[in-house]
Amino acid sequence: MRILIRQHKQAWASLKKKPGFVLTVLMTMGITLGALLCAITLNYLLLVEPLPYPDQDRLFVAEHGVTGAKKETKGLAFTYPGLVHLYKSKAAFEQAAIMSYGEDVIVSHNSQPLVNTAYITPELHQILASPLALGRMFEASEAMDTHNPVAMLSYNTWQQEFNGNVDILEQKINIRGVSYRIVGVLAEHFIEPELEEIGRETQVWLPFDFNSAGEGQRQSFGNISGNLKFIGLLNKEVSQSQAVQLLTPLVNDRWQEGVAEISFFKGWSIDMRVRPVKEVMLGQSESIAIMLLAGVVGLVLIACANISNLFMARTAEKQRQMAIQAAIGATKKHLFKAMLAETSILMFMSIILALVIAKSGFYIMQQYLGAVLPRVNELSLNPITFGCAVLVTVVFALFFAKLSTRMINYRALNTTLQSSGKGSGLQVSKKTRQVLIASQVALATVLVFANFSLLKDAVKTINAPLGFTTTNISTLRLNFSSTDSPSQEESIPIMAGIMEKLEALPQVESLSQSGSPLDGFYLRALTNVANNERYTPFLKGADQRYFNMIEQPLLQGDNFTRVDRQDGNNVMIVNQAFAKQLKADGDVLGLQLSMGGPDPHKIIGIVKDIAIPGETAIEDDGSAEYTGVPRAYVASRLGAQTFMLKLKSGQSVSREQLGKLLAEVDSRYAVFSFNSADDILTQRLFSEITTAVTTAVLAGLVFLLAGIGLYGILSYGTQLRRFELGARMAIGATKQHLVTMIINDNAKSVLVGFIGSVVLFALAYIGLSEYIQPFLTWQVLPMIVATLILITLVTLFACYWPLRKYINKPAIFSLRGSD
Amino acid sequence: MTTPIIKVQQLGKVFSTNDMLTHALQGIELEIQQGEYISISGPSGCGKSTLLSIMGLLDFPTTGKLFFEGKDISQLSMEQTAAIRNKKIGFIFQQFNLIDELSIYDNIALPLRYAKQPTSDKKIKEKVDYCLDVVGMLSKAGRRPTQLSGGQQQCIAIARALVAEPSILLVDEPTGNLDSKNSDQIMATLEALNNQGTTLCVVTHDIRYAEMAKRKVYLLDGRILGQTRFDHQSMY
Repeated sequence: MRILIRQHKQAWASLKKKPGFVLTVLMTMGITLGALLCAITLNYLLLVEPLPYPDQDRLFVAEHGVTGAKKETKGLAFTYPGLVHLYKSKAAFEQAAIMSYGEDVIVSHNSQPLVNTAYITPELHQILASPLALGRMFEASEAMDTHNPVAMLSYNTWQQEFNGNVDILEQKINIRGVSYRIVGVLAEHFIEPELEEIGRETQVWLPFDFNSAGEGQRQSFGNISGNLKFIGLLNKEVSQSQAVQLLTPLVNDRWQEGVAEISFFKGWSIDMRVRPVKEVMLGQSESIAIMLLAGVVGLVLIACANISNLFMARTAEKQRQMAIQAAIGATKKHLFKAMLAETSILMFMSIILALVIAKSGFYIMQQYLGAVLPRVNELSLNPITFGCAVLVTVVFALFFAKLSTRMINYRALNTTLQSSGKGSGLQVSKKTRQVLIASQVALATVLVFANFSLLKDAVKTINAPLGFTTTNISTLRLNFSSTDSPSQEESIPIMAGIMEKLEALPQVESLSQSGSPLDGFYLRALTNVANNERYTPFLKGADQRYFNMIEQPLLQGDNFTRVDRQDGNNVMIVNQAFAKQLKADGDVLGLQLSMGGPDPHKIIGIVKDIAIPGETAIEDDGSAEYTGVPRAYVASRLGAQTFMLKLKSGQSVSREQLGKLLAEVDSRYAVFSFNSADDILTQRLFSEITTAVTTAVLAGLVFLLAGIGLYGILSYGTQLRRFELGARMAIGATKQHLVTMIINDNAKSVLVGFIGSVVLFALAYIGLSEYIQPFLTWQVLPMIVATLILITLVTLFACYWPLRKYINKPAIFSLRGSD
Repeated sequence: MTTPIIKVQQLGKVFSTNDMLTHALQGIELEIQQGEYISISGPSGCGKSTLLSIMGLLDFPTTGKLFFEGKDISQLSMEQTAAIRNKKIGFIFQQFNLIDELSIYDNIALPLRYAKQPTSDKKIKEKVDYCLDVVGMLSKAGRRPTQLSGGQQQCIAIARALVAEPSILLVDEPTGNLDSKNSDQIMATLEALNNQGTTLCVVTHDIRYAEMAKRKVYLLDGRILGQTRFDHQSMY
């Protein structure tokens, strides 16, 4: 033990003299192993760790597959009566629950927050054995058809919206005109199964009876709704496939009865699907997680190769010291132990940093990937992470120690001493070093180029002109907090009153009774009355102020008028793309398009195209000419409950302020959402921004790793040539001579590396041409040049940096053989 | 009195480690005249190689002045000292310091290729062949250093030192890695060169070879303990 401590003390003393080396190993291994621990923990969580529910092996989700006449899947969502029928049948499942997801405003709350709601039957929390912080879960008295208005809060909602008030139980909250009595608060560690959307957290749980489905939907077998779910504990004696066989006829028969009168559904059927909850939650994320792990393992291997080069250089530096140790009787085993002491200290420090980075990585994933990967909220430093950390530390410490010791030609160490430190007791051939340099350059070029390509595309999308402004624009959507929706006639004067109040706000510059382009369009089938051709452009309601406010130019014809909206005139404005679709010359003013009703819409204007991030542009009849997304606009109704507010520069309006304003006009109205267009744009660009940041970081990391790797191997080569450098200096070589010589000597390897990268690209192209083809445009050329320049600069730096300590000192320093 | 090739005045060299200063040379006064054959000897660690390195501009003195052909070169830059080494000084080392990857011919030609004034390939060949002939190794021009014996390698090192026609040859333990037969041969070659007019300064701990010089300098603990000339015997 004493020997071990002494060895580690000596190793530490030796490492302290080389802070640059220590820092490089620490940063490289710390960062990459941190990423590895993150990826391993995530993969374990997603692929191995069971869900935190009792009997999770029997926990299944039943899905309602709607199949068309040609046996094609039309949708994977329940009809309301179909779901209720399945729930009430109690078939195949020992215990089952149904739920309907929604978004609602707690109007009784001062800040009237918009919250995620789930309308559930009481069995849900019983099946999940949900832990509680306060109160109780729903009981039989709150089951379906009891209409008992009670509520449960999530822990975060309790803390954030109710300040963790311990007297929260029995308090009431009002949602859509119903007053709910709070009966329970879920525990902080409760984990909700993400069945509807990854990363969605239900904030308020309410009884199923109160879900937002209207009476029509509750009866209709023709409407499917993605927010309806069924979850249950399968009977012990029923297998997954048996459950499908049991449920399909049960649900299909009832559905056939329900749609018997509707000819549209002739030949259609229902196929029930029963899948484990875990599978439903994982979705495509299993492959994402595995890809992530593979990518990180690749990164670790690159880092490992680079650090190996550094250890080679380090061993070269220490050869005289090792020669002395060998001369006084140290065996290879002794040298290995001494080296192991150094590598274990370095790896221990690296793994501590890696754990810190992994912890930060979990936080980043929870913040930014919560909507992409399930269960990320469960990520934490757990025994698996620590176990992997220990394993990785041991394996890498042994690996680097073994690698360094293998480099030593034990017999040749004697020569090192006999020739006063001149000569080499190391055994990495020049050819091996050249191969290492070439492979470093090839790999770095490929990775940097790949990252640049992704970065370029992401930046291009982020910076792409929208064709409209988002500056100072916000969208206000109203919530009607009563069970009885107002009629169109009733809402017109209320909306007029609200608009009057909004316009009177000193912060408001202008107002439009329509949503912003970023709030979405919907697909609508339209028929050209002239030739019966069908089109499906994106449609949106807009008022007379819409285009001016977002600065979308009207190219031809007229804008909507208030009269159009008041009289319900069937007028339409289309964009250039749709105009070109309708007629090649784009001259479509006066053209009439039918939405299925008796009176077609007449096109009165053409506006310029806009681009919305995330939407795909189309090609015009395969002519490869970019035309943008076809859009059509109809005059919004005077009773529309969505507004765009353009605020004066530097001004802001709060949700609370708007809530009070609405209440002054009609207390049944509240703010459903109030979001700035810039925020929505940022959300829409989330994946591009994430890609840009990730690729930029990765490109930086690849540069760092390439620099370290090349430095390591070139430094090693330079160490070995130390006496040669000294001899050359002695006979008159200047710095320039030596720098040129080292660069020339390595130029061949770098060139081979560049050729190697071309070969790698060619192989990638052969294997993945489908994906790579779209990237192969002339625009790639400057990126190739930029990549080559950057890699060349890194190589030049790696050539010069190890050389500088010899050429900037008197020649005797190199000739003497020791510092 | 002609200007000495090398003149050293009150030269000192201090090596510093973390917490210790070592005075390798102190108060050295020395002149080397054109055509001289001088040996520097003394026990291990006395500073003879350090003195040779400083006189050969491979290292810088800590104190004192160094004149080369009458010019004070103590404050020259590394680039300037490299140029002087290339043109005016020929080095012969104990370890030969030949470059294994180059042929014998290229090893010898190397100083000419580092010269500021480019030499034509024809002229280089003439000079290299001449130097190879001087050391009797003309037939080995195409070989690599590793294909030669130690004695042969040292002969090549001598040829390389001579090729730029330097003002002085600085020789550091030329026989340190050689057997006695080869050692005698090398020392005979050096003596012959001196007889032809080449200025020689040889560092050696071998008393036999030190005695071959026409002037002998004895160092002890970084100081010159005594000097003697072949025509003016005096005891240390």
